[in-house]
Amino acid sequence: MLTVEGLRAGYQASSEVLRGLDLTIAEGETVALMGRNGMGKSTLLRAIMGHLRIAAGRIRFREHEIVGRRPFEISNLGIAYVPQGREIFADFTVEENLILGVLGKPALPARVPARIYAWFPVLAERRRQKAGTMSGGEQQQLAIARALIGRPRLLLLDEPSEGIQPSIVQDLAVTLGRIAGEERLTMLLVEQNLDLVLRLAGRCLFIENGRLVDAAEPARLRADPALLQRYLSV
Amino acid sequence: METAVIIGLDALSFMLALLLVALGLIIIFGLMNVINMAHGEFFLLGAYTVVLVQNAGGGFWLGLMAAPIVLAAIGLALEELVVRHVYHRFIDTILATWGLSLAIKQAVIVVFGPTAQQVQNPLPSQVLILGAVYPSHRLFIMAVAIAVAAGTFLLFYRTRLGLAARGVIANRAMAASLGIDTRRMDRATFAFGAALAGLAGAVMAPLMSVDPQMGVGFLVPAFLSILVGGAGSLPGALLGTSVIAGSSTVVASIWTQVVAQIAVFSLAIVIIRMFPRGLAGGRR
Repeated sequence: MLTVEGLRAGYQASSEVLRGLDLTIAEGETVALMGRNGMGKSTLLRAIMGHLRIAAGRIRFREHEIVGRRPFEISNLGIAYVPQGREIFADFTVEENLILGVLGKPALPARVPARIYAWFPVLAERRRQKAGTMSGGEQQQLAIARALIGRPRLLLLDEPSEGIQPSIVQDLAVTLGRIAGEERLTMLLVEQNLDLVLRLAGRCLFIENGRLVDAAEPARLRADPALLQRYLSV
Repeated sequence: METAVIIGLDALSFMLALLLVALGLIIIFGLMNVINMAHGEFFLLGAYTVVLVQNAGGGFWLGLMAAPIVLAAIGLALEELVVRHVYHRFIDTILATWGLSLAIKQAVIVVFGPTAQQVQNPLPSQVLILGAVYPSHRLFIMAVAIAVAAGTFLLFYRTRLGLAARGVIANRAMAASLGIDTRRMDRATFAFGAALAGLAGAVMAPLMSVDPQMGVGFLVPAFLSILVGGAGSLPGALLGTSVIAGSSTVVASIWTQVVAQIAVFSLAIVIIRMFPRGLAGGRR
């Protein structure tokens, strides 16, 4: 579904964050991307979404080459993005935030379908509330719902557990797993929270200095703490 | 009593015309982060569109309808040719649009000459309001401005298109990630802002001396209104234009235009000192 080949990209021409990254994700798979800060995890998601200038390499999504396309086109091809820090529209109501997820999609009606509120009942309760007044966990659900309302095939999630209570992270993992099953959704998850990774991911990839350096099944992660030690501790 | 009514109505009509100019400036600034120094010239071109149509025998009303359409087209062309190439470099947008402003002004001088043009007053009658005799055309200006400003607010706060525009203003990158075509929004916004300024120029033309300098006379108070009201906020535009238009009309009626200018600038400085983010608190 997604193939990245020899990707080189960064924020300035002089310093590349991604240094020849290769990655393949099959349809329906949930892949976790792990690594220390500054290794290029978020940068990879931004590059896929079209927010960075790509110096070299290819990104293929289904049958489309997406390097050089603009973010709104990439979104319309079926990739949705939940950025780090959520970036919800704090001054808008919950419902307005959700509607913004379909306004750019001509094929979809401009209203919130029932399945979104079925997955995230708290958003139905708060639909008229300003999004900025909700808790971190609720805002994260909103950011995910806003991405899902556009019916993506591939969901890019950047640290969804950041700043959220552990009990809520558990719920989030259950909900995401259920949605992935119901929608045959493919997910690329950047995450430091081992709990969430073990619950969701079918495969873990480790990134170091802008390249993938290792891959592991979640079972091996559980059995081999040295692996995490090597790629995650500072 | 009569004088008070007249001053009040004068202040209101100035405020409403200013609001049309300021709304365009704010929407363009909010969405594209472009300070459009050529906005006064869009106002000017609106007035000259009426002159042109009138000289061709079309009359004021046809000119009034043509002005926003002509200005939307000019706005669209200038956005495509100039503004979009510099909009990510903030200072350059000021220089580029200032250059546009000079070029438009000179072009108007070349075509129409430096002297003032006359636009016939289409509504020369007067009406009696609360014991005061008041020109009909000024009332017409108020009606147009209220309708257009209300329409703009409805468009922004009650429609899907307005929600998309507000989304782009609040977080451009996120809006793009959600599938909203921000380039199309930019083009539409610039054309819409230009059309508002053109309409304001056209509707004001019968009351003003239509000359190549008339744009500046509206751009400066429009900028002051935005600073006073709070940049990036449509409700702030209402506050800002009331303060600026109200104070300048009242002071000018008691003393002179010059005193009014000094008073308005001083008031603006005090307000900005006390509310650095504007009276509306800079809420978006």
